[in-house]
Amino acid sequence: MTAMNQAKSLDIRQLLTGHIADVFHTMLSLDAIPQPKGPLPNFGERITGSVGFGGDRVNGAMYVHLSIGLAEELACAMLKSAAPQISDTEINDVVGEITNILTGQFKSSLSDAGAGCAMSTPAIIRGLSYQIEPPPGVRRELLLFHCRAKPMAVEVHIKFN
Amino acid sequence: MGTRILSVDDSHTIRLIVSRAFRDYDCQICEAANGEEGLAVAAREKPDLILLDVTMPVMDGVTMLTLLKADPVLKSIPVIMLTAESGRENVLAIARLGVRDYLVKPFKEELLVQKVGHIVPLQKKVVA
Repeated sequence: MTAMNQAKSLDIRQLLTGHIADVFHTMLSLDAIPQPKGPLPNFGERITGSVGFGGDRVNGAMYVHLSIGLAEELACAMLKSAAPQISDTEINDVVGEITNILTGQFKSSLSDAGAGCAMSTPAIIRGLSYQIEPPPGVRRELLLFHCRAKPMAVEVHIKFN
Repeated sequence: MGTRILSVDDSHTIRLIVSRAFRDYDCQICEAANGEEGLAVAAREKPDLILLDVTMPVMDGVTMLTLLKADPVLKSIPVIMLTAESGRENVLAIARLGVRDYLVKPFKEELLVQKVGHIVPLQKKVVA
């Protein structure tokens, strides 16, 4: 199998499900429980962490969508702090770091399959209603989870060159 | 004065986790948010060990490490790389740069302390 075919044949959903469980368990001592396929939930006020990745054979981006409430809980868990002491900047940083670590693990799987790439630094989007649409020809995978009974979504856009 | 550790990471969260990991030890933690700041703090503080992130704005960890190893005063400071990337290619590239060890994120604080303790002496704080 060529390196490109090896990378294309990766089971992205299975990989990401494992990576999410690992990141949440190790850094937050929390479970991220996979949910059936479906549309992006209505989060109300939402925060999204994003990290891009790109190389000769692959390009894409990872997005982690959370409600502001869950993001605050994750920040409290990671920083071992109480909610009133957590600032928006700290919440942004925690969501960015979770997205960064998750993308790093995914990137490692791509690299090991022959599609090496580099990562961007994290960016944060906040708002009430927005959609991130991939350009034509870009594969989109959306994975839904529950953490502390609150919805969370991980979205990856990926294109093999 | 205890062991001086420089934590270079653009993430406030990771720097806080590093500080927390060593709170029970006689350590002085200094911080920098990118490689450029890291070099300046390393030159000023002469830490016993550097914990260095790979992907950072302004100057990444690989560039900082390359410049550190080219500096006759700073090159002997041991470096542990903290990386979000565990792939074979990345690990080999890091090893070639002359780091003492590496730690893949996500990591447990105990493992970080263990790895640092293998390189520099760590003394538990004496509770009065």
